[in-house]
Amino acid sequence: MFKKIKKLTYTRPFRIIINGLWKDNPIFCMVLGICSSLAITNRVENAIAMGLGVTFVTVATSVIISAMRNFIPSRVRMITYMVVISTFVICVDQFLKAFFPTISEAMGPYVGLIITNCIVMGRAEGFAMKNPVVYSFLDALSCGIGYTYTLLIISIIREILAFGTILRYRVMPQTWTNWVALAMAPGAFVLLALYLWIMRTLAKVEPEK
Amino acid sequence: MKEKISIILFVIVLGSISSGLLVGINSWTKPKVIKNKELKLKSSILDVFGIKYEKDTIESVFSQNIETFEKNGTVFYRTKTNEIAFKYSGSGLWGPISGVIALNPDLDTIKGIKILHQEETPGLGGRIAEQEFLSQFKNKKITPKLVIVVKEKAKQENEVDGITGATMTCKSFEELLNKDIKEHLECLKK
Repeated sequence: MFKKIKKLTYTRPFRIIINGLWKDNPIFCMVLGICSSLAITNRVENAIAMGLGVTFVTVATSVIISAMRNFIPSRVRMITYMVVISTFVICVDQFLKAFFPTISEAMGPYVGLIITNCIVMGRAEGFAMKNPVVYSFLDALSCGIGYTYTLLIISIIREILAFGTILRYRVMPQTWTNWVALAMAPGAFVLLALYLWIMRTLAKVEPEK
Repeated sequence: MKEKISIILFVIVLGSISSGLLVGINSWTKPKVIKNKELKLKSSILDVFGIKYEKDTIESVFSQNIETFEKNGTVFYRTKTNEIAFKYSGSGLWGPISGVIALNPDLDTIKGIKILHQEETPGLGGRIAEQEFLSQFKNKKITPKLVIVVKEKAKQENEVDGITGATMTCKSFEELLNKDIKEHLECLKK
């Protein structure tokens, strides 16, 4: 049993997943997608919606790019990524507007800003362009989840300290003084820096020399 | 040369596929989006008047209680007790803000206010759309003008508390409200 698990850890899909979730986590190792992780993490619900949106777009884009990788002329590959990414983002935006108007409102302009999330383009250029569909799918999915759980952790801390709630349910006593600084961008910078420090130490990320 | 042609071909094919997809999605979701908007407007008008409704009775409650009329090219909504509501809009800090506001029959105090659309920073300026902030406007005087107080606590009967970290959004919101209320009242009294 143990041997089997050990053997499993050497397979490619397993390593891709671990890389996305931990070793090459988009936020604390590649330090991508920082803008959105600062901006929308003050409420847990925003973080969940953003995480799911980015995960979906990354997976869809990676799969499409990977399937087309032999036809894409390398000189226009960036434009191809942008076209594919924007198409999916607009689809997500329209879909939310039609079927989940409340979430669409809460996210405001940030759905459109998924287009500019570097993770999506980073995975397309760095992985999907060179690898078959199945691996690209796994890679995009694990990166998306890696991004989502980071947003979740940060947003949980921020919402508790800044508003005393989680998903708008009160968790702190009524006497709790809200740390307003954490609702704002400067607080998010400090928290994200601490988070990067802790996670990079735990994941033993070596700085490049 | 051959490479250039294949690049052009590729881009054209890619462009047409993706635009075709978008046109399809758009025509599929458009009726639903319009319907959602209309329902949202109606439910917000009911909200600002403080009329209770269920999710699936919005249309009927609306047509029973509220009369829509037009005066000098502007649309107003009126209840049986002569309260007046109208839509307001203007620019916030980052994008347009629009919503509905209802006035009491004296046309001097606010009955209720709601924001339908805003593009302010979520969690900061975006909080102007939260009930907690908007419910403060109830029964506030709109003359001489509405003030959103940022630095201290609101004291006067035409003042409401602003949102910490969203001073600029509060200022824009205050400005656009005062401007639109004034314009609409002039229109109504003409």
